[in-house]
Amino acid sequence: MAEMKYNVPNEQWPEHPETATLEGKNKFVGFWTFLGGETVLFASLFATYLALKDSVPSSDHMLAADLFHLELAFVMTMLLLTSSLTSVYAVYHMRNNNFSKMQLWLAITVLLGAGFLALEIYEFYEYVHLGHTFRSSAFGSAFYILIGTHGFHVIIGLIWITGLIIRNATRGLSVYTAAKVNTAALYWHFIDVVWVFIFTIVYLLGVI
Amino acid sequence: MAELEAKSMTDTQLRNLRRQRTKEMRLQLTGFSFMIFLTFMAFGMVALDFNATFIMGIVMLFAFIQVVLQFYYFMHMKDKGHEFAKLFMVVGMFFAIAFCVTFIYIVWIGQPI
Repeated sequence: MAEMKYNVPNEQWPEHPETATLEGKNKFVGFWTFLGGETVLFASLFATYLALKDSVPSSDHMLAADLFHLELAFVMTMLLLTSSLTSVYAVYHMRNNNFSKMQLWLAITVLLGAGFLALEIYEFYEYVHLGHTFRSSAFGSAFYILIGTHGFHVIIGLIWITGLIIRNATRGLSVYTAAKVNTAALYWHFIDVVWVFIFTIVYLLGVI
Repeated sequence: MAELEAKSMTDTQLRNLRRQRTKEMRLQLTGFSFMIFLTFMAFGMVALDFNATFIMGIVMLFAFIQVVLQFYYFMHMKDKGHEFAKLFMVVGMFFAIAFCVTFIYIVWIGQPI
Protein backbone atom coordinates (compact mmCIF):
# COMPACT_ATOMS: atom_id res chain seq x y z
CA MET A 1 0.00 0.00 0.00
CA ALA A 2 1.29 3.38 -0.98
CA GLU A 3 1.91 5.95 1.65
CA MET A 4 -0.70 8.63 2.18
CA LYS A 5 0.76 11.95 1.13
CA TYR A 6 -0.25 15.35 2.38
CA ASN A 7 0.11 18.60 0.46
CA VAL A 8 1.02 17.01 -2.86
CA PRO A 9 1.91 19.26 -5.83
CA ASN A 10 -1.00 20.39 -8.00
CA GLU A 11 -0.13 18.23 -11.00
CA GLN A 12 -0.33 15.09 -8.84
CA TRP A 13 -3.63 16.04 -7.25
CA PRO A 14 -6.32 13.81 -8.80
CA GLU A 15 -9.27 15.23 -10.72
CA HIS A 16 -11.74 13.88 -8.14
CA PRO A 17 -9.69 13.69 -4.94
CA GLU A 18 -12.71 12.74 -2.84
CA THR A 19 -13.23 9.46 -4.73
CA ALA A 20 -9.62 8.82 -5.75
CA THR A 21 -9.23 6.01 -3.21
CA LEU A 22 -11.29 2.93 -2.45
CA GLU A 23 -12.04 4.38 0.96
CA GLY A 24 -13.28 7.58 -0.65
CA LYS A 25 -15.49 5.66 -3.06
CA ASN A 26 -16.96 3.59 -0.22
CA LYS A 27 -17.59 6.70 1.84
CA PHE A 28 -19.37 8.30 -1.09
CA VAL A 29 -21.76 5.40 -1.78
CA GLY A 30 -22.24 4.67 1.91
CA PHE A 31 -23.10 8.24 2.69
CA TRP A 32 -25.69 8.47 -0.05
CA THR A 33 -27.27 5.31 1.37
CA PHE A 34 -27.41 7.04 4.73
CA LEU A 35 -28.99 10.13 3.15
CA GLY A 36 -31.68 7.91 1.60
CA GLY A 37 -32.46 6.65 5.12
CA GLU A 38 -32.46 10.20 6.46
CA THR A 39 -35.03 11.15 3.82
CA VAL A 40 -37.36 8.47 5.15
CA LEU A 41 -36.74 9.58 8.75
CA PHE A 42 -37.68 13.17 7.97
CA ALA A 43 -40.59 12.03 5.80
CA SER A 44 -42.16 10.24 8.76
CA LEU A 45 -41.73 13.35 10.91
CA PHE A 46 -43.23 15.56 8.20
CA ALA A 47 -46.18 13.19 7.82
CA THR A 48 -46.73 13.25 11.60
CA TYR A 49 -46.58 17.03 11.63
CA LEU A 50 -49.05 17.32 8.74
CA ALA A 51 -51.44 14.96 10.50
CA LEU A 52 -51.24 16.71 13.86
CA LYS A 53 -50.96 20.33 12.69
CA ASP A 54 -53.15 22.64 14.81
CA SER A 55 -54.39 19.71 16.93
CA VAL A 56 -54.72 21.48 20.27
CA PRO A 57 -56.82 20.47 23.29
CA SER A 58 -58.60 23.80 23.79
CA SER A 59 -59.08 27.16 22.12
CA ASP A 60 -56.65 29.00 24.42
CA HIS A 61 -53.71 27.25 22.71
CA MET A 62 -51.95 29.06 19.89
CA LEU A 63 -52.18 27.69 16.35
CA ALA A 64 -49.57 27.74 13.58
CA ALA A 65 -50.92 30.96 12.05
CA ASP A 66 -50.67 32.79 15.41
CA LEU A 67 -47.20 31.51 16.24
CA PHE A 68 -44.99 31.71 13.18
CA HIS A 69 -43.18 34.86 12.09
CA LEU A 70 -42.21 34.92 8.44
CA GLU A 71 -39.37 37.41 9.00
CA LEU A 72 -37.49 35.07 11.31
CA ALA A 73 -38.04 32.05 9.04
CA PHE A 74 -36.82 34.12 6.09
CA VAL A 75 -33.58 35.15 7.81
CA MET A 76 -32.97 31.56 8.93
CA THR A 77 -33.55 30.32 5.37
CA MET A 78 -31.09 32.85 3.96
CA LEU A 79 -28.43 31.90 6.52
CA LEU A 80 -28.72 28.19 5.81
CA LEU A 81 -28.95 28.62 2.03
CA THR A 82 -25.84 30.80 2.01
CA SER A 83 -23.98 28.34 4.23
CA SER A 84 -24.81 25.68 1.65
CA LEU A 85 -23.15 27.81 -1.03
CA THR A 86 -20.06 28.43 1.12
CA SER A 87 -19.59 24.69 1.57
CA VAL A 88 -19.73 24.36 -2.24
CA TYR A 89 -16.85 26.87 -2.28
CA ALA A 90 -14.97 24.73 0.24
CA VAL A 91 -15.34 21.66 -1.99
CA TYR A 92 -14.30 23.74 -5.02
CA HIS A 93 -11.06 24.77 -3.31
CA MET A 94 -10.54 21.22 -2.03
CA ARG A 95 -10.66 19.99 -5.65
CA ASN A 96 -8.22 22.73 -6.63
CA ASN A 97 -5.82 21.59 -3.90
CA ASN A 98 -6.08 24.93 -2.11
CA PHE A 99 -6.02 24.00 1.55
CA SER A 100 -6.12 27.42 3.24
CA LYS A 101 -9.07 28.66 1.19
CA MET A 102 -10.92 25.41 1.86
CA GLN A 103 -10.45 25.90 5.59
CA LEU A 104 -11.60 29.51 5.32
CA TRP A 105 -14.84 28.59 3.51
CA LEU A 106 -15.50 25.75 5.95
CA ALA A 107 -15.11 28.24 8.81
CA ILE A 108 -17.58 30.64 7.14
CA THR A 109 -20.00 27.73 6.74
CA VAL A 110 -19.73 26.98 10.46
CA LEU A 111 -20.33 30.64 11.36
CA LEU A 112 -23.47 30.85 9.20
CA GLY A 113 -24.71 27.54 10.59
CA ALA A 114 -24.13 28.78 14.14
CA GLY A 115 -26.14 31.91 13.33
CA PHE A 116 -28.99 29.73 12.12
CA LEU A 117 -28.85 27.61 15.27
CA ALA A 118 -28.87 30.70 17.50
CA LEU A 119 -32.01 31.99 15.78
CA GLU A 120 -33.67 28.59 16.13
CA ILE A 121 -32.92 28.49 19.87
CA TYR A 122 -34.33 32.04 20.17
CA GLU A 123 -37.44 30.93 18.29
CA PHE A 124 -38.02 27.91 20.55
CA TYR A 125 -37.49 30.10 23.60
CA GLU A 126 -40.14 32.54 22.35
CA TYR A 127 -42.66 29.77 21.65
CA VAL A 128 -42.20 28.17 25.06
CA HIS A 129 -42.75 31.61 26.52
CA LEU A 130 -46.06 31.81 24.64
CA GLY A 131 -47.20 28.47 26.06
CA HIS A 132 -46.41 26.40 22.96
CA THR A 133 -44.28 23.60 24.42
CA PHE A 134 -43.42 20.01 23.63
CA ARG A 135 -46.07 18.80 26.07
CA SER A 136 -48.78 21.43 25.59
CA SER A 137 -50.45 19.78 22.57
CA ALA A 138 -50.08 17.12 19.87
CA PHE A 139 -49.31 20.02 17.52
CA GLY A 140 -46.49 21.11 19.84
CA SER A 141 -45.02 17.61 20.04
CA ALA A 142 -45.07 17.13 16.28
CA PHE A 143 -43.62 20.62 15.71
CA TYR A 144 -40.73 20.31 18.15
CA ILE A 145 -39.80 16.78 17.12
CA LEU A 146 -39.65 17.81 13.44
CA ILE A 147 -37.82 21.13 13.83
CA GLY A 148 -35.80 19.76 16.75
CA THR A 149 -34.53 16.78 14.76
CA HIS A 150 -33.45 19.18 12.03
CA GLY A 151 -31.78 21.43 14.62
CA PHE A 152 -30.03 18.39 16.07
CA HIS A 153 -28.68 17.62 12.60
CA VAL A 154 -27.39 21.20 12.39
CA ILE A 155 -25.60 20.73 15.72
CA ILE A 156 -24.02 17.47 14.53
CA GLY A 157 -22.99 19.14 11.25
CA LEU A 158 -21.41 22.06 13.10
CA ILE A 159 -19.44 19.74 15.42
CA TRP A 160 -18.41 17.61 12.43
CA ILE A 161 -17.14 20.48 10.27
CA THR A 162 -15.46 22.23 13.22
CA GLY A 163 -13.77 18.92 14.05
CA LEU A 164 -12.51 18.61 10.47
CA ILE A 165 -11.15 22.16 10.48
CA ILE A 166 -9.26 21.59 13.74
CA ARG A 167 -8.05 18.08 12.94
CA ASN A 168 -6.77 19.02 9.49
CA ALA A 169 -5.31 22.38 10.50
CA THR A 170 -1.81 21.00 11.01
CA ARG A 171 -1.78 18.11 8.54
CA GLY A 172 -3.22 19.73 5.41
CA LEU A 173 -4.93 18.18 2.43
CA SER A 174 -4.65 14.61 1.15
CA VAL A 175 -6.99 12.29 -0.72
CA TYR A 176 -7.86 10.93 2.73
CA THR A 177 -8.95 14.27 4.19
CA ALA A 178 -10.57 15.32 0.89
CA ALA A 179 -13.05 12.44 1.15
CA LYS A 180 -13.90 13.52 4.72
CA VAL A 181 -14.52 17.12 3.72
CA ASN A 182 -16.66 16.05 0.77
CA THR A 183 -18.81 13.82 2.99
CA ALA A 184 -19.33 16.61 5.53
CA ALA A 185 -20.31 18.98 2.70
CA LEU A 186 -22.88 16.48 1.41
CA TYR A 187 -24.35 16.24 4.91
CA TRP A 188 -24.55 20.00 5.17
CA HIS A 189 -26.34 20.28 1.81
CA PHE A 190 -28.81 17.65 2.93
CA ILE A 191 -29.58 19.69 6.05
CA ASP A 192 -30.41 22.57 3.74
CA VAL A 193 -32.62 20.33 1.56
CA VAL A 194 -34.64 19.35 4.64
CA TRP A 195 -34.90 23.00 5.67
CA VAL A 196 -36.33 23.94 2.25
CA PHE A 197 -39.25 21.62 2.99
CA ILE A 198 -39.54 22.82 6.57
CA PHE A 199 -39.78 26.49 5.65
CA THR A 200 -42.27 25.66 2.88
CA ILE A 201 -44.52 23.15 4.63
CA VAL A 202 -44.28 24.31 8.24
CA TYR A 203 -43.79 28.08 8.00
CA LEU A 204 -45.16 29.25 4.65
CA LEU A 205 -48.14 26.88 4.49
CA GLY A 206 -48.57 27.33 8.26
CA VAL A 207 -49.42 31.03 8.07
CA ILE A 208 -51.74 31.02 5.04
CA MET B 1 -5.67 3.66 3.19
CA ALA B 2 -5.33 6.40 0.66
CA GLU B 3 -2.92 6.12 -2.18
CA LEU B 4 -2.28 8.43 -5.09
CA GLU B 5 -2.12 7.48 -8.70
CA ALA B 6 1.44 7.81 -9.92
CA LYS B 7 0.67 9.64 -13.17
CA SER B 8 0.81 13.40 -12.98
CA MET B 9 -0.84 16.04 -15.11
CA THR B 10 0.84 18.33 -17.62
CA ASP B 11 0.53 22.08 -17.23
CA THR B 12 -2.02 22.34 -20.04
CA GLN B 13 -4.17 19.60 -18.55
CA LEU B 14 -4.07 21.29 -15.19
CA ARG B 15 -4.97 24.65 -16.67
CA ASN B 16 -7.90 23.14 -18.57
CA LEU B 17 -9.13 21.38 -15.47
CA ARG B 18 -8.99 24.61 -13.47
CA ARG B 19 -10.85 26.49 -16.17
CA GLN B 20 -13.50 23.78 -16.23
CA ARG B 21 -13.88 24.04 -12.45
CA THR B 22 -14.21 27.82 -12.56
CA LYS B 23 -16.92 27.44 -15.17
CA GLU B 24 -18.63 24.88 -12.96
CA MET B 25 -18.42 27.23 -9.99
CA ARG B 26 -20.06 29.98 -12.05
CA LEU B 27 -22.88 27.53 -12.79
CA GLN B 28 -23.20 26.84 -9.05
CA LEU B 29 -23.50 30.57 -8.40
CA THR B 30 -26.25 30.85 -11.03
CA GLY B 31 -28.07 27.99 -9.34
CA PHE B 32 -27.68 29.71 -5.99
CA SER B 33 -29.11 33.00 -7.27
CA PHE B 34 -32.04 31.09 -8.70
CA MET B 35 -32.64 29.43 -5.31
CA ILE B 36 -32.54 32.83 -3.60
CA PHE B 37 -34.98 34.15 -6.19
CA LEU B 38 -37.38 31.23 -5.57
CA THR B 39 -37.16 31.79 -1.81
CA PHE B 40 -37.97 35.49 -2.23
CA MET B 41 -40.91 34.66 -4.50
CA ALA B 42 -42.27 32.04 -2.09
CA PHE B 43 -42.07 34.31 0.97
CA GLY B 44 -43.32 37.28 -1.04
CA MET B 45 -46.40 35.47 -2.30
CA VAL B 46 -47.34 34.33 1.20
CA ALA B 47 -46.76 37.82 2.61
CA LEU B 48 -48.95 39.36 -0.12
CA ASP B 49 -51.86 37.04 0.78
CA PHE B 50 -52.77 35.52 -2.56
CA ASN B 51 -55.40 32.80 -2.91
CA ALA B 52 -54.49 29.99 -0.47
CA THR B 53 -54.86 26.98 -2.80
CA PHE B 54 -52.90 28.77 -5.52
CA ILE B 55 -50.07 29.60 -3.10
CA MET B 56 -49.99 26.04 -1.77
CA GLY B 57 -49.38 24.60 -5.24
CA ILE B 58 -46.85 27.20 -6.36
CA VAL B 59 -44.88 27.19 -3.10
CA MET B 60 -44.58 23.38 -3.13
CA LEU B 61 -43.45 23.54 -6.77
CA PHE B 62 -40.79 26.11 -5.82
CA ALA B 63 -39.60 23.86 -2.99
CA PHE B 64 -39.21 20.93 -5.39
CA ILE B 65 -37.29 23.02 -7.93
CA GLN B 66 -35.00 24.28 -5.16
CA VAL B 67 -34.35 20.77 -3.90
CA VAL B 68 -33.61 19.48 -7.40
CA LEU B 69 -31.12 22.35 -7.89
CA GLN B 70 -29.55 21.57 -4.52
CA PHE B 71 -29.16 17.88 -5.39
CA TYR B 72 -28.03 18.29 -9.00
CA TYR B 73 -25.71 21.25 -8.59
CA PHE B 74 -24.62 21.67 -4.97
CA MET B 75 -24.44 17.93 -4.32
CA HIS B 76 -23.04 17.26 -7.82
CA MET B 77 -25.68 14.69 -8.71
CA LYS B 78 -25.50 15.76 -12.37
CA ASP B 79 -21.90 14.50 -12.55
CA LYS B 80 -20.96 10.99 -13.62
CA GLY B 81 -20.99 8.15 -11.11
CA HIS B 82 -24.09 9.19 -9.18
CA GLU B 83 -26.33 6.28 -10.19
CA PHE B 84 -26.51 4.83 -6.70
CA ALA B 85 -27.04 8.26 -5.19
CA LYS B 86 -30.02 8.78 -7.48
CA LEU B 87 -31.42 5.33 -6.70
CA PHE B 88 -31.25 5.93 -2.94
CA MET B 89 -32.79 9.37 -3.18
CA VAL B 90 -35.61 8.21 -5.46
CA VAL B 91 -36.45 5.39 -3.04
CA GLY B 92 -36.31 7.87 -0.13
CA MET B 93 -38.57 10.31 -1.99
CA PHE B 94 -41.01 7.50 -2.80
CA PHE B 95 -41.46 6.76 0.90
CA ALA B 96 -41.57 10.47 1.73
CA ILE B 97 -44.43 11.14 -0.66
CA ALA B 98 -46.22 7.91 0.35
CA PHE B 99 -46.07 8.81 4.06
CA CYS B 100 -47.27 12.37 3.58
CA VAL B 101 -50.10 11.51 1.18
CA THR B 102 -51.30 8.66 3.42
CA PHE B 103 -51.31 10.75 6.59
CA ILE B 104 -52.98 13.75 4.99
CA TYR B 105 -55.63 11.54 3.42
CA ILE B 106 -56.38 9.55 6.58
CA VAL B 107 -56.54 12.58 8.87
CA TRP B 108 -57.87 15.43 6.75
CA ILE B 109 -59.61 14.16 3.62
CA GLY B 110 -61.01 10.61 3.90
CA GLN B 111 -64.17 9.62 5.72
CA PRO B 112 -63.70 8.17 9.22
CA ILE B 113 -63.59 4.38 9.09
